[in-house]
Order: sequence, then C-alpha cells, then structure tokens
Amino acid sequence: MKPRQLLALFIIPMGLIIAAVPQNKTKPYKLTADELLSEVNTRTQYVAPDAVADMIIKKDPTLRLIDVRSQDEFEKFSLPGAINIPVTDLLSEAYTDVLNQDIKMNIFYSNGTLTANEAWMITRQLGYKNNFVLEGGLNYWFDAILNPQKPATTSSDEEFAKYDFRKSAGQALGGGGVVQASQDQGSSSVKPAIKSLPKKKKAAGGC
Amino acid sequence: MGPLAINELISENTNLFLAFVIGIGFGFVLEQSGFSSSRKLAGVFYGYDAVVLKVFFTAAITAMLGLLFFSLFGWIDLNLVYVNPTYLTSAIIGGIIMGAGFIIGGYCPGTSFCGASIGKLDAFVFIGGLFIGVFIFGIGYNLWDGMYMAKFLGSPKISETLGLTDGVFAFLLIIMALVMFWVAEWAEKKFPREEY
Repeated sequence: MKPRQLLALFIIPMGLIIAAVPQNKTKPYKLTADELLSEVNTRTQYVAPDAVADMIIKKDPTLRLIDVRSQDEFEKFSLPGAINIPVTDLLSEAYTDVLNQDIKMNIFYSNGTLTANEAWMITRQLGYKNNFVLEGGLNYWFDAILNPQKPATTSSDEEFAKYDFRKSAGQALGGGGVVQASQDQGSSSVKPAIKSLPKKKKAAGGC
Repeated sequence: MGPLAINELISENTNLFLAFVIGIGFGFVLEQSGFSSSRKLAGVFYGYDAVVLKVFFTAAITAMLGLLFFSLFGWIDLNLVYVNPTYLTSAIIGGIIMGAGFIIGGYCPGTSFCGASIGKLDAFVFIGGLFIGVFIFGIGYNLWDGMYMAKFLGSPKISETLGLTDGVFAFLLIIMALVMFWVAEWAEKKFPREEY
C-alpha cells in the first residue's frame, strides 16, 4: 500500500469526525482561587489616583471611568467623564460591550474600594480584560487629589513633585477653591502665585 | 507554546528553551526529508519532485486535526491561539516575491539555514541574498510602509468567510490535499529527472 493511501485511510475518517461533531464554543477560562488570591495580593487591579488624574487632564481617549455606586450617589458627585454602572446592574446585557472589550481602560470606582473591587472580581472571573480599580476610591481621591497635604520641608524632591502635581491636578479637576484656601493659611500670599507656573507644567508633562 | 506561555504556566525562559528544542527538531526533520537540497525544493515548481508540497501539507493537516480535536476535548482554547493578522496587499506582493525567490534560489528562508547547517554553498549565498533583502526593506521602509500596512483585514479565517464550521472546512482541506498529492505524484511520473 502506498503511503498516500495509508495517509488517506487515516485522515479522511478523522476529517469526517471533526466535520460531524459540533464546534466547541465553551470558554473554559476561569481563574482558580489561587490565581485570584495571587492577583489580589500583587494588587494588579489598582490604578493610583495620580495616574487617573493625569489621564483625565490629558483627556486620554483610552480612559473610561465607571462609577459603580448607585445612581443617586452618581448624580450627586462623579468624576469627570465617568459613566454609571451600579454594581447591582453589572451583569445586565446592556453593559457587556462596555466591560468586555480590549480597547479602553475601564477604571471602577466607588466611595471606598469595596464595591469597585466586587465589580472587578466579577468581571475578572468572567475573563474580561482591561478592568481596573481606582486605588483608595473616592475617599482617597478627595484627600490626595482635591485636597493634598503639603509634605514636610524635610521631604524628598519626589514628594514635593507629587504634591505639586496633585495640587495642580486638583485645581484642574475642580477642587481648587478648597486647596487654595488651605494653602493660603500655610504660606505667604506671594508663593502660590510663583508656584502656579511650574505646577501647570508638571501637570502637562509629569507622571 | 502559545496558551501555556500566555497563562504563565511556564516562564518566558522555559518558553524560549522549548522553542529552541522544537526548532532543532524542526530543522532535523527538514534535513531528513531532503529539504537541504535546493534542486529537490525547486522540483515542486517543475513537477519532478513534490516533496515540499507533501511534507508541508501533511504537517498542516496534522496540526489542524490536532488543534481541532484538542479544542473538541477542551484541552486548548482556540481563541488564545495567535493568528497572524492579514494585510492583503503585502500578503499578495510578499507572496509573489517569496515565490520568485523560491524558484530562483531553490530555498525558502527556513530551508536555507537547513542547507547551510550541512555546509551547502548555495544555501550560504541564499542567506546572503536574504540579508540584503532584509536590509533594503529596512532602509526603504518609508517608501513602502503605506503599501505594507494597506488593506488590513484583522485575523479572518477562511471558514468564517465562507460561512462553514471549522470542522467542515478542515474536511474539505483534507480532500483538497489528497487530490493535490495525487496530482503531484502523477506529475513526478510525467516530468521525471534522472539525477538532481
């Protein structure tokens, strides 16, 4: 028997079988408890508020902020450009396209990080990519970005650069009034005016 | 080792090591199949030797059946397998250049290294030409990058385009391959060469 005939005898039945059986469309993708724990431990899901503020200011088109709190809370206050997907509606069909995509960077936020983390875990377990959590939630956002504390004079340059960025970011994102009021008490009235120029530059090019 | 590396079941270094081992195995099989002879390789275009067609089509069909059965058993997620994206214009032009080089030089890039490994001089000349081509492409990239990136189609599958399931398409491909083998062996008898 020629090799070709032998080959034909073997692969034609195989081809017939594979043509006859239904295609396997199930997604076996699932994280084990160990894998999820290791992701939680390495904190890969968190995005620092400074990075988020920077993206908002630069109008980064890949950023998509998702407010997972209730609609009432969302209407009272939300981050610029955020959309509202209450965590109770997370699995609604209408939001599948928003959550399961590989173009934008979805960042969940809630008051703390609990609700946002719930949303992240559910989407992660579904195998969706590009979903993250705003580190510290809105509470930390207020402290860090909208009302940053001036570092001690002995702090490193890095700390001051971070503070400058946060202050200018806070002003750009609508926390300016509060910031300036608290800053005027701490330093002379001349200094903030001088500082405002390099501050803006940092916001544009920093981080 | 696509899915294994992506899921971080094996490290990047293990992945490279496996690629090295598989590469050596691939080269060995190529040499043993006679792929280090440019006359044998060019034979597929003149009809006197169809070993290229037979070896590569058999390899493709084996891999295809393997992947489809693995997917059926749930051992592999075909969505995680990397599919080279299609740029239609460069695929056609590149195919013509590659085919012409194959007929003229008697080697394709992989087999030229296979030939060089056993010290074939024509293989070394071919590799020299290959690097000149790579160099010209790199230097002149600005001249043809528009054409290079034109007609991007994503990663379409023929089965999807034709509206068939993967299994039915695989079966048709098997039939096609067997017909081609039959034609090739007929051609080998029709256009024989005594010594090459």
